[in-house]
Amino acid sequence: MELLCLGLNHRTAPVEVRERFAVGNKKLGVAACELSAMSGVSEGLVISTCNRTEFYLVAANAREACGRLETHLTEKIQLDAGVAAHFYRKEKTEAARHLCRVVSGLDSMLLGETEIFGQVKQSYQAALEAGATAGVLNRLFQRAFGVGKKVRTETSIQHGSTSVGNVAVDLAEKIFGHLKDSEVMILGAGEMSRITAQSLVSRGARSIFVANRSYDRAVELAAEMGGSAVRFDAWQKVLERVDVVISSTGCPFPIVHRADVEQARHARKFRPLFFIDIAVPRDIDPAVGEIDEVYLYDIDTLEQLANQARGSRQLQIDECERIIDAELAKFNLQGSPDRRPPAE
Amino acid sequence: MDRWLLITSTVLAIVGSVGGMVSVHHGHRSRWTVAWMAGVLVCQIAVLALRGQHRNVCPLADRGEILVFLAWALTLFYLLVGPTYRISLLGVFTAPVVAVFQLVALVPGVLEADPHPMTGGNPWHEMHSATSVLAYGALALASVAGVMFLVLDRQLKEHHLHSGLFRRLPPVRGLLVSLERLLWLGGGLLTLGVLAGFLMPRALEGPDHAKVIGHTLAALVVWAGYALLLAVKTVRGLTGRQLALLAVGWFILSLGVFAFV
Repeated sequence: MELLCLGLNHRTAPVEVRERFAVGNKKLGVAACELSAMSGVSEGLVISTCNRTEFYLVAANAREACGRLETHLTEKIQLDAGVAAHFYRKEKTEAARHLCRVVSGLDSMLLGETEIFGQVKQSYQAALEAGATAGVLNRLFQRAFGVGKKVRTETSIQHGSTSVGNVAVDLAEKIFGHLKDSEVMILGAGEMSRITAQSLVSRGARSIFVANRSYDRAVELAAEMGGSAVRFDAWQKVLERVDVVISSTGCPFPIVHRADVEQARHARKFRPLFFIDIAVPRDIDPAVGEIDEVYLYDIDTLEQLANQARGSRQLQIDECERIIDAELAKFNLQGSPDRRPPAE
Repeated sequence: MDRWLLITSTVLAIVGSVGGMVSVHHGHRSRWTVAWMAGVLVCQIAVLALRGQHRNVCPLADRGEILVFLAWALTLFYLLVGPTYRISLLGVFTAPVVAVFQLVALVPGVLEADPHPMTGGNPWHEMHSATSVLAYGALALASVAGVMFLVLDRQLKEHHLHSGLFRRLPPVRGLLVSLERLLWLGGGLLTLGVLAGFLMPRALEGPDHAKVIGHTLAALVVWAGYALLLAVKTVRGLTGRQLALLAVGWFILSLGVFAFV
């Protein structure tokens, strides 16, 4: 029996192609059954995420099965002539290695991301429950999950945040621990502030205050986030109670000066204060960062931290590949999919 | 026997420190530190029990015993506070301090090799000694939390966020809360110690009288320092950096004062 993987991902196909092959979570089991029902195919499984759709199947002859799968897709999705070029095909050990790389986050758009692990598990679970998998795919996926866990535990492939918003949220947690006791103020109702504030809220931030030059916009954003709107000339007063300030106004000069923070210090009893300045030009005077209890991060610093995390993840790739190869070698010794004797 | 137990305890503390540091350097959890420190505590208890049997009183008769008692109190508070409040790395920072205290106690002449039984023991005197050393244990742990805060604060201020140490240190707010609670605990025990000190009988004249006066004055200054620190923190507020620096600085200063008084 031979293992085959046919798929497309964010590197080989644009979104308008990927979306045509996307399979909803509820249909993963049915799609897997359709694969395993094809002539000459004994097992099938479909992985579908926003960045990839992959078909795994076990057949007596991989080449013939691939032809049948292409025909199946052509009938189902009505492929244009050029679409086939977006697919990659991996067989036997290459397919197994590819799955391990996917599960470990090495093939993801955001290197080392963890979501893919759960998504592949969900796809496997759906196929298993639908009865579309048997010995080969069961063993392969169980092994791949083990490899994925090992890669994530033994390397730092998932360490650090790789986006500006996540870096800011992780820093807030490093300063305040659980954010459920933290209050946040947004200065300027820009898109970046909204996204960052929403991340903070999703991690438990207690309340949000929105101050914007246009009060109506502040009210709108506050309502959207379940917070309170503040008139722009009153933000200094709110500074006395909040823990995190996210600033992203379009103002051409700094709006938060050292004196503003100095004025609020006594009322705050010198509690830690985290400023996230994602505006260009900067909204917060760098001198604010010299105050003892203030942690000030501007967009360049956050971007730099995200880049460092991306860079350090890149450095881990070789180590991850080594673990995958070593684990696959063990898998081969115990009877790899491509070395298994025919079932019949 | 007590010396060998103390050596064993010190070796365990050193192993805990080095193991913890290596784990942190590699960005892993230092999961064995608690176990090493539990071993340290068992050996310390054995040392103090043996010395207590010899002395017939609470074993706080020489500088070596005071250092071992202090190391015991520090270890005890760490084991009570660290795992309970999940303050990661507290053990890694505490173990070296315990090792240093015990290494100093092992210097020849610091710990009396043949402890003589003490006579004429007084309960107020024993309470004064015991609560004071316990207070110092809590205040030492507060200093350890203070050092951890200063390290984390510096990393956050200078945007050096990719070390294993940074990843494993607990959040700023958690460290400051622990630091303040330990200061309150230490301050409370110190108050009891000072009160017991006033109630114990003392020499009214001679060289011992001058020593007692010096000791009492030192105790009052140390107590007043901590009382002022806590009062200012509560009423006015202090930045984390100020609180940590004062906790560490005042602890080292007061330890130094008592080494000479």
